[in-house]
Amino acid sequence: MTAPSSRQLAWIIARDVNRTVGGGMASMELLRRSFEARQWVDASSHALCVAVSRLTPGTNILAYCAAVGWRLRGWRGTLAGLAAASIPGSLIIFVLAATLVRLDGFPIVRLTLSVGMLVAAVLVLSSAWNLFKPYLRSGRWRMVLVISAIAGALYFADWTPVRILFACAITGALLPARVVAAPAVAPTPPRRSADV
Amino acid sequence: MNVLIVYLLLLKATATSFAGMGSLPQIRQDFVETYHLVSADALSEAVLVGRATPGPMGAYVVAVGYLAIGWPGALAGWLALVTPAFAALPLLITVQRWLHLPRVRAVVDAVVVAGAALLVPAGVGLAADAIRQLLRL
Repeated sequence: MTAPSSRQLAWIIARDVNRTVGGGMASMELLRRSFEARQWVDASSHALCVAVSRLTPGTNILAYCAAVGWRLRGWRGTLAGLAAASIPGSLIIFVLAATLVRLDGFPIVRLTLSVGMLVAAVLVLSSAWNLFKPYLRSGRWRMVLVISAIAGALYFADWTPVRILFACAITGALLPARVVAAPAVAPTPPRRSADV
Repeated sequence: MNVLIVYLLLLKATATSFAGMGSLPQIRQDFVETYHLVSADALSEAVLVGRATPGPMGAYVVAVGYLAIGWPGALAGWLALVTPAFAALPLLITVQRWLHLPRVRAVVDAVVVAGAALLVPAGVGLAADAIRQLLRL
């Protein structure tokens, strides 16, 4: 595991977050691939940051970038990550809103958007698989099955995602130890105060 | 309308939602119905611009702020977009501190797995929307 500079972190986040449409999970998957390729973040750290981002109010991808930035570079990483993830898209939105472009009037825009959404869908499903994979590989399929079944049932019962996550969190705490035996997220050493 | 009020109204919407577009009902309530800061059409346009732009889905609040009071509103929108993300830090620090406890780890694992399970219908829905749009073209 290597730690990037704030500038390197900001560049990767700006590049990966601002080239997807259709939601933050596609961006998270691109970021995971970039981070793991550079050995900045491993699968367990990614999973932890995804879990935290899903439980944080607001936009998930921004909470994810704040959490990853904090783990890699402390406060500087958080600020760099948030700025890189939010400023480019916000500037484009500001310009478009200011010029009041009627985007839906252009077929080429609709076509580009549709293809972009299709790519995002593939990335979202790939992200789901990559989150499941470590648990399945460590033989914890029973836990995956129980939690997924509960999440699916509550989803079809029209529960909101946050309520589903809290219900599954409580279920996870109540499951027998033999079902939740193998550790999936390794504890990290405490951060030195100088890093913070 | 004061820029601080616009920021607080947008923050109320972003901080009480748990997904990019989850803030829309609250924004519609405050900006269209209660304070009449933007019209329903303008709000739809802001959502469209947000969906069409790469990056976070929730960034449409920048357009809402702009359409309400101009560029200070856009700035307020951006601040309201990023402010809730700071709540991830105490949550992350707390989880990291107690992660060595099996029950805490079990809770985190359950949230990860449940989050992954919820991605499946989201991904399928997104693909279905994209295919429908492509067929219409």
